[in-house]
Amino acid sequence: MAEIQPVIEVCDLCKTYYMAGGLSQSVLKHISFTIYPGEFVAIMGHSGSGKSTLMNILGCLDRPTSGTYQLSGENVSDKDDEALAIVRGQKIGFVFQNFNLLMKRTIADNVSLPLIYQGVGDEERRQRAVEMLKKVGLEGYEDRLPSQISGGMQQRVAIARALINNPSIIFADEPTGNLDSKTSDEIMELFAKLNEHGITIVLVTHEDDVADYAKRMIKIMDGEKAYDGLRADYKENQGA
Amino acid sequence: MIIQILKEAWISISAYKLRTFLTMLGILIGVAAVVMMVSAGQTVQNEITKTFDSMGTNLILIGPGETVSGGVRGGRGKPTVTFDEVDALKKLKDVEAASFIVSAAAQAVYGSNNYGVSIYGTTPSYLTVGNWEIEQGQMFTEHDYKSGKPYVVIGQTIVNELFGLQNPIGKVIRLKSQPFTVIGVLKEKGDGMMGDDQDNIVLMPATTLRQRIQSYFRHNYASVVFVKAVSEDKMEIVANRVEYELRARHRLKDGVANDFTVRLMTEMVEKVRSIGFILSALLAAIASISLIVGSIGIMNMMLVSVTERTREIGTRKALGAPNKWIMFQFLAESILISFMGSFVGMIVGVIFSQIGGVIFDKDVPISIWSVIISVMVAVIVGVASGLMPALKAMKLDPIEALRYQ
Repeated sequence: MAEIQPVIEVCDLCKTYYMAGGLSQSVLKHISFTIYPGEFVAIMGHSGSGKSTLMNILGCLDRPTSGTYQLSGENVSDKDDEALAIVRGQKIGFVFQNFNLLMKRTIADNVSLPLIYQGVGDEERRQRAVEMLKKVGLEGYEDRLPSQISGGMQQRVAIARALINNPSIIFADEPTGNLDSKTSDEIMELFAKLNEHGITIVLVTHEDDVADYAKRMIKIMDGEKAYDGLRADYKENQGA
Repeated sequence: MIIQILKEAWISISAYKLRTFLTMLGILIGVAAVVMMVSAGQTVQNEITKTFDSMGTNLILIGPGETVSGGVRGGRGKPTVTFDEVDALKKLKDVEAASFIVSAAAQAVYGSNNYGVSIYGTTPSYLTVGNWEIEQGQMFTEHDYKSGKPYVVIGQTIVNELFGLQNPIGKVIRLKSQPFTVIGVLKEKGDGMMGDDQDNIVLMPATTLRQRIQSYFRHNYASVVFVKAVSEDKMEIVANRVEYELRARHRLKDGVANDFTVRLMTEMVEKVRSIGFILSALLAAIASISLIVGSIGIMNMMLVSVTERTREIGTRKALGAPNKWIMFQFLAESILISFMGSFVGMIVGVIFSQIGGVIFDKDVPISIWSVIISVMVAVIVGVASGLMPALKAMKLDPIEALRYQ
């Protein structure tokens, strides 16, 4: 049987911030883990634990100080800004806490935005945006502005935008942080459904309810990996 | 890629219509002002050329010499060129025509009407050297000149003032109580360079003027002599021949200064035109200050825009926008604003110049310079004012930009 290639392979990852006066702060310490295609992983941790820094490195928005990071078999830990931008555009989908939609642009324009940077033509962009909006249950909303739809819908638009370039992985940073509990459930169910269809999802959250949708959990504490295993096992141990 | 960047830039600036319009206004007013000033300058230069042309082309003017007393230059001296010497100048090589004037002023009287006029005593060739044409009747002949006939040819102003709608030909007017028969009417020329009325003129044989109006003059000296060269490139050589001829006739020894002055009309035209050019350049320079202000306006707006859209920049970068793309998009936005401002400014400038032309009754040229200035301004101002904000946008850290509140 052929070996399955991991989507993410992080080995001995460290991140240290150097400040004026020779001071330094180690935010991530020797973190290693592997994520395979089709996994739904929740990265958890308290505020200041280093989970956002980890997320930024995994999302190719930042580089580690040391260690290696392989995304779909490609070492991205020492790429320059331009190369990282290409990687982000081709392999990564982002879903942000506050949606980050362009408020003056239509829903279809927002969804198709990542395709502009890949040189996809107007017509194809529009067509793919319409298809993607159908997948997230927003058929017929193409020409509305973000301000004309609810927060939950806006996050669905953001999810459609994250999916449009067929990424290897989707990073969702506190995706329900700005939503009420009912809408949060709807969004998480959408993520679960997408995961069932084989899409790899990495979720950063501090909410247990949200993390429950993930099968695997990585807990970061003071910059170190404190737990890496099934979410169900973690809950069982906590309860015990 | 460029088309896509321009599209994105266009969508971004059209999303903030009022702000874009107000920013554009600075460049619009600046370009319009420059175009209007350049048009005004060119109109002045054209008017100068037209006036000089109306005075005659390829002309060499010979006037009295300058007085020098104790090494100090004084004003103009007395005329020294005689009527006969002008006849001799006519025969020089490359001379098309030569004439002269002796001037006087008088009240012209016809019936109960009278009008103050300038009288030029001259020769029939004055029509050629002075670029005059006969509208009605005829010019006095060489024979009339020689025999001192009391004939006059009058300008349009005098026709209007003395005769109204009557036909002046054959009528007798009185100048200094002397009767003169009107035999011709000159074609209208309009105002001269100093705003003087060129059509308020009575031409008569110089001999007649001397005999009937200025009989107290003992010598026949011409006030100003006009020599017309056959072409513009022969003017210099003709001027030299004239000088040589007159010096010989006046028996001036080597080292003795001329007792007359020789001036080329082209030199005078160039002098006045260069003043006109400096004037229009100065006006345009003053107007371009508003362009600088407009350019600062664009830079200011683009800097605000980058700050306001920090989160958008972060999002675009996270979604795969290369840094260069972000820079070019912001640069394209400022160039588009500048281009639109310049284009509309050029049209507004041309329209206002033409309106000015109608109001002041002048032909205002639509200059290619307007287009050149506008395009140059659009590119230079757009790039200059957009570069700093665009670089700022490019350098934004995506993580910081995404966190920006």
